Amino acid sequence: MNRFYLWPWKAPVDDEVDHELAFHLEMRTREYVDRGFSAADARREAERRMGDVARVRAACRALGEGRDRRMRRIEYASELRQDIGFAWRQMRRNPGFALIASLTLALGIGGTTAIFSAVDAVVLRPLPLRDPARLMVVAETWKGLPSDVSAGNFTDANAGLTRFEGGLTAEQFSSFNLADGGTPERIIGGRVTANYFDVLGARPAMGRTFRADEDRPGSEQVVVLSHRLWTRRFGAASAILGQDIRMNGRRYTVAGVMPASFDLTTNREELWVPIAFTPERKAMHDEHYLTVYGRLNADATAQQALAELEAVASRLRRDFPKDDGELTFTVIPFTDQFVGDYGKRLLVLLGAVSVVLLIACGNVANLLLARGAARGREIAIRTALGAGRWRIVRQCLTESAVLALCAAAAGLLFAKWSLAAVVAWSPPGVPRLEQAQIDPAALGFAVAAALVSSVLFGLAPALRLAKGDVQTGLREGARGTTAGGFRDRLRAGLIVSEVALSLLLLFGAGLLIRSAIALQRVDLGFDPHGVLTARVALPAASYAEPERVVATFERMAEAAAKVPGVTQASITSYAAMGGGGGSNGLLPEGVPFAIKNLIQSGLRIITPDFFRAMGVPIVKGRGFDDRDRAGGQKVMIVSARLAAIAFSGQDPIGKRIACCEQRPDGSADYKVVVGVAGDIRSRGPATPPAAEFYLPLPQAPADAWNWTQRSMYIVIRTAGDPAALAQPLRAAIARIDPDLPLFDVRMMSQRLSSSLATARFNTLLLTILGGVGLLLAASGIYGVIAYFVSQRTHEIGVRMALGATPGSVVRLILTQATRPVALGAAVGIGAALAASRVLANQLFDVSPTDPATIAAVVVTLGAVALAASAVPARRAAAIDPTKALQAE
Amino acid sequence: MTPETTAELLHGTLVALILKTLARGRRHGYAIARAIEEATGGVVQVEDGSLYPALYRMERSGWIEAEWGVSELGRKAKLYRLTPRGRRQLAAETAEWARFATAVSRLLLAT
Repeated sequence: MNRFYLWPWKAPVDDEVDHELAFHLEMRTREYVDRGFSAADARREAERRMGDVARVRAACRALGEGRDRRMRRIEYASELRQDIGFAWRQMRRNPGFALIASLTLALGIGGTTAIFSAVDAVVLRPLPLRDPARLMVVAETWKGLPSDVSAGNFTDANAGLTRFEGGLTAEQFSSFNLADGGTPERIIGGRVTANYFDVLGARPAMGRTFRADEDRPGSEQVVVLSHRLWTRRFGAASAILGQDIRMNGRRYTVAGVMPASFDLTTNREELWVPIAFTPERKAMHDEHYLTVYGRLNADATAQQALAELEAVASRLRRDFPKDDGELTFTVIPFTDQFVGDYGKRLLVLLGAVSVVLLIACGNVANLLLARGAARGREIAIRTALGAGRWRIVRQCLTESAVLALCAAAAGLLFAKWSLAAVVAWSPPGVPRLEQAQIDPAALGFAVAAALVSSVLFGLAPALRLAKGDVQTGLREGARGTTAGGFRDRLRAGLIVSEVALSLLLLFGAGLLIRSAIALQRVDLGFDPHGVLTARVALPAASYAEPERVVATFERMAEAAAKVPGVTQASITSYAAMGGGGGSNGLLPEGVPFAIKNLIQSGLRIITPDFFRAMGVPIVKGRGFDDRDRAGGQKVMIVSARLAAIAFSGQDPIGKRIACCEQRPDGSADYKVVVGVAGDIRSRGPATPPAAEFYLPLPQAPADAWNWTQRSMYIVIRTAGDPAALAQPLRAAIARIDPDLPLFDVRMMSQRLSSSLATARFNTLLLTILGGVGLLLAASGIYGVIAYFVSQRTHEIGVRMALGATPGSVVRLILTQATRPVALGAAVGIGAALAASRVLANQLFDVSPTDPATIAAVVVTLGAVALAASAVPARRAAAIDPTKALQAE
Repeated sequence: MTPETTAELLHGTLVALILKTLARGRRHGYAIARAIEEATGGVVQVEDGSLYPALYRMERSGWIEAEWGVSELGRKAKLYRLTPRGRRQLAAETAEWARFATAVSRLLLAT
């Protein structure tokens, strides 16, 4: 028998079946003719034996197509296996290349995977609440910004709404002295309405939540614990259910424990008790302290809810013109509020780290190109043996994919490590970040990143390799003899994009660094060095009378001042850069009463030494002293900014301002301005000073103890180490009342640095990414230029033989490198200016298009590019012309 | 034995017969049919309408492979041959047939 053709069939299945059946019929006919049938009878007999030819043909075609599909799959799988095995052997044969390429990629893949895990945990993963998309935050607006809701407004709104499932719920953040057995501890808790957990859509892990009848004055002595508090303080014992714990001097029965995932507010409250509004509180419309949530009905939209709230607001504006004259409500999806702008910041980081991955891909592409030149012969042979171009490309891409997947494996280790670092160094308060981990989603992301990268860095080299002319490849001495100029567009393009990408990163990092420097230089208006701050709160049960509160805080100020090493000690309702603090509407004498005429100003109730302890200058008039007692002339000190707003240039001393309380007859209660204090940046260096005023502790309005919940700051200044004073201060306060815990004990310098933590974290991370990107780009530039030098050895030899100096050779090479670098810089500047807007909300005192930063980045990049190409350029200058020419 | 019952009987054993025939070397479809007819002295008549679907099905199962070749008369023809998997299948089918035939014989030929 003759030779056979090989699979696959050239003819489609249809032809195959037709031919085969026709052949059969013909052979059968011949058989019957041989047996003596007439030609016509023989044919008829053959057809009879076949039966319904059309049916047989259809059956065979269908079966044949199935067979071909299966063959193709098997063939593809076996080729893939071959390619993977081949790729693996290639990597083992070139361990240096494999190591450098996969480490480069591992850096990029690992980095992107780590940041992806963070994005996944903070932004993408659904909240552990029933149907979180329907959960809304309902807030009042103050000067266009969402603000807390008053109990009266909450109560009235709740009565008139139909769009929310189960009505609105309110939470008041509050602190509790937990004094049960161990050391007394200050704990943040939420006072909530009974429907709170139902509205949020969370169920307790153990026990129950509140019954409606517990949300009433007198029966609110029940508490639901957070998982964190339950484990930390009560050893995760289930026996805690039904037991009593002592808080604020009262007993509360533990009703339930929430799951660990229920940790959804930035206040990080650790327990909940019923809010139990009294009828008086339900009637108060002017004190805004409630966070309000509502769950939209399944068929309701936020728009409809807002319309309903506006109807309520218009009624409230009419009924309570004094308190609610400008009331409007706003509705914010809970998820948006929860993630805040961390989502955006993380996405910026993900973008930055992806840019690093792109640069890494560029470098690997360059390595592959260099190796492709060495493999030209091998590919030429394969092509000569009949491998099609697509087959070659497929094999090259398989090699790239194997390389990238190895890199992903290494990258996952790197990701695990860097994610741990990110979580450890991240600023506090990023929601759910500590839940980020290298999980199956991250694994999937790493594999996807690897496969996408393998196409990015592998496709161009693969196409080039597959296109390679068989003849030149087979000719051993094939040599690029291009004279002058960059002929290799692909490699030049790599330089252009790497330079552009790293410029983008460096520009972002540069902007953040400049912001950080500007923040360091800001004058805070006070001196944070040598200052220790701590907070203390008096429980309402044992400190009911305002006189007793004032006397106790004054004793604390005296006791703190006597601690050895303390030079100044003060009590204040708010220090700076921390929790607490409040504001009041002020009305200068002579200005008619109207909501819009009130000057909203930050309030501090202080003892006289506050200004000296904080290092705030009195710029005019006097500070407080012993004259400013209860029952005496009511006085206040205003900040320079408030003075400017309230009295626009006139001397504020002696002027009167109404605030904070009413006289018994209902008329405005005026305080005389006795001094002007320097402005301070109370909310940290990034926030400009606000209008603020100060009242002496003995003259604090009685209501103020409800606003502050009897919680004050102790501020002490020392010439030595403030940290050393924490323990003696604790002891001094314990001597006044051993049940009072000092909490939030921190040096002012710590408060300052944690207020900058987010900015510093982003700056650090982006700077690291910029540095890594720059290094990768430098090695990419080096690689390409070194390749060009090696390609032009012969030509350079000729030039030198003809009298070119080493200096002119160096210049020649550097000039060649300059063009793509300059082009890349131009592209990069354009991209950077377009992209830097995403950083705008993280910048301080620097424009997103800051020319100085651009200049600095371009100079840095230019210097690095020059250095990277100088090495191969000097090697070119050292070429020995005789050897270069002999090598021909 | 009428042709109809032969066809029915063959329906289950056609595959085994094809495998057995191909075990002796590669053949095209018509040659397979002839070989079966000749080997059984004309007792077994292959129904051509069943033969080809059976061949395509066996090909899909990977028991046999086909190549274009040239027939004894110099015509282009599709030639089938056994694969290693087909050889294993033949062994299995033969054993199954022997078991079946023994059982049936024991009943029918019992005295």
